[in-house]
Amino acid sequence: MINRTDVGVAAILLVVCAALYYTTTGFEEVSPLFAQDMPPERFPRMLLWVIVALTLALPFERALRKEKGKVLDKARSKPIQPIVYMTAVFLVLSVFSIQWIGTFLVLVLVCIGLPLLWGERRLKILVPYVVVFPAAVMLLFTRVLGVYFDPGVIGLELF
Amino acid sequence: MDAVTQGILLIADPTNIALIFISVLIGVLVGALPGLSSPMAVALLLPFTITMEPVPAIAMMAALYCAGTFGGSITAILINAPGAPPAVATAFDGYPMAKRGEAGRALGIAAVSSISGGIISLFIFLLATPLLARIATSFRPMEYFALAVFALSMLASISGKSSLRNLIAGAVGVLLGTAGIHLTTGVERFTFGVPELTEGVSFVPVLIGLFAMGELLNQSQAAEKTLEVIKAVVVKLPSRDDFRRIWGTILRSSGIGTFIGVLPAEGATVAAIMGYNEARRWSKRKEEFGTGCPEGIAGPEAANNAATGGAMVPTLALGIPGSATTAVILAALIMHGFRPGPYLMKETPEFVYAIFCAMLVANVMFLVIGLAGAKVFSRITLIPRTFLWPSVFVFSLIGSYSYGASVFDVWVMLVAGVIGFLMLRHGFAPAPLVMGLILGKLVEESFSQSMILLDNRWWRLLESPIVDLFFALTALSLCWPLISSQLHKRKRGADAAAETTGR
Repeated sequence: MINRTDVGVAAILLVVCAALYYTTTGFEEVSPLFAQDMPPERFPRMLLWVIVALTLALPFERALRKEKGKVLDKARSKPIQPIVYMTAVFLVLSVFSIQWIGTFLVLVLVCIGLPLLWGERRLKILVPYVVVFPAAVMLLFTRVLGVYFDPGVIGLELF
Repeated sequence: MDAVTQGILLIADPTNIALIFISVLIGVLVGALPGLSSPMAVALLLPFTITMEPVPAIAMMAALYCAGTFGGSITAILINAPGAPPAVATAFDGYPMAKRGEAGRALGIAAVSSISGGIISLFIFLLATPLLARIATSFRPMEYFALAVFALSMLASISGKSSLRNLIAGAVGVLLGTAGIHLTTGVERFTFGVPELTEGVSFVPVLIGLFAMGELLNQSQAAEKTLEVIKAVVVKLPSRDDFRRIWGTILRSSGIGTFIGVLPAEGATVAAIMGYNEARRWSKRKEEFGTGCPEGIAGPEAANNAATGGAMVPTLALGIPGSATTAVILAALIMHGFRPGPYLMKETPEFVYAIFCAMLVANVMFLVIGLAGAKVFSRITLIPRTFLWPSVFVFSLIGSYSYGASVFDVWVMLVAGVIGFLMLRHGFAPAPLVMGLILGKLVEESFSQSMILLDNRWWRLLESPIVDLFFALTALSLCWPLISSQLHKRKRGADAAAETTGR
């Protein structure tokens, strides 16, 4: 009757809702006259109650929908592959390194690293891609659209 | 009439025409590439357009929206891999027709049906937008609140796997919209001491993260997959016989598509599936469906592109997005300093007519581009994913950064991406969250104003007949999955009984 994965999903949502509800208790207090009887916590709390009510039905949805509920398990039938975690970590590290090596070098790093991480080994395509693509994007944004990018501690700016 | 002329003149500028052409090209490419979607492409285009004038900026997005919807049909027909969800139903008959050596005919029917649907819906857009805007000017905060609640309830039936999960995602989106300074009291909410959050969560990084990054992480699991190599195709315009067979379907599906598009939150995917089902229901050759029937291509194609024009109506006239892509366009309008809703039509009608012209030009352009370049566009699927998705990340990083020149926004984009990936995995569609985020401010503001006006006596909301109507529609839309399953059961029962009696 109850789907275990959905119990987990619902539990996470409920914990987040509880934490956010607790946060609303710390909102600055305003006199009712000033708030015109609409204190800042009222609307978020109403929403949190709506989310909680809907979330409580989540573990039963799979069973209630019978055959049609199978579609919910399609994407999660297999465990998350290690490449997803590796990609996520790589992306986080790339963004983290913007402050050190600057935006342009991060783009170059992404254009080399991500294809290699995903198993790309055709250097004939990879090399021109790494040379041309990040430079073209930077040129477009800095020169045409006038965006300023953080050069990082190293201070390398292409344009 | 002056406003119409001004709108035409705004778009007739050669630079704007060139920008629309580029958008159509990008739109068809994006539509043709499985995994890349119109909302994602429009979200990625958003940062490019921030420094532009509003007319070319919104015209580019509207053109990309139209072209992206059509582009999906190319790969749906040629390799049975719909480039975009609205093209799923096109593959049912398009691919079988291509398999029997008539790919050019299938593409021709798709292109002509698509442009017909698009143009018919644009004329309805032209008539309906001012009318709806005029009605909406009489709306008070109570009516706006009820309308926004109705729009949120429609998220339940937005294309996705589960109504319940769509509603949760929508509510989370609205909650996300409450972060930042409370307008009535000036109190900071959910800022957690982060100064960047005092102005609220920026739309752009969240949109890019949910639509692009979530899919990127998903695609990392299938990076080595290669798609079928496409044979050379010569596109043929439909013959007179084909026209005779499909014109009725085109008209019917255009009407259905426009109506579905006008409904808040319902987009091209729902329209296409309904267009296909109705084409089959009205056809005298039901048995041919699924084997390469021209009506089976014309139905969904006319409907999905008609939904684009329809979806612009509530977006511009009411400030309520008609689909996921128009939610992004709505965000863009807000960023360019417009107030989407009835006052947009009242104060800047020429702008609305300029968007209409841009979409009309885009429809004509994608017919030409689609017919002339189908062979090239179909080969776009040969781009290795190992290069395509890193490029998407580069645009996502730069796009989310350039909006506020802040690395914080890039982090928001990454977090939204991880959440988007987990949502997709557990059956939550990202589109309702985006719509909730965009509608959030309207819902809270109209609710607060209503409560102040009604002295906090919420039951007085029901004194307005318009509010009652929207609440009744809300109840209907929330109960619709149950009603529809009961109706289906009853129909199946009746069919089975008729079959037994027939025997």
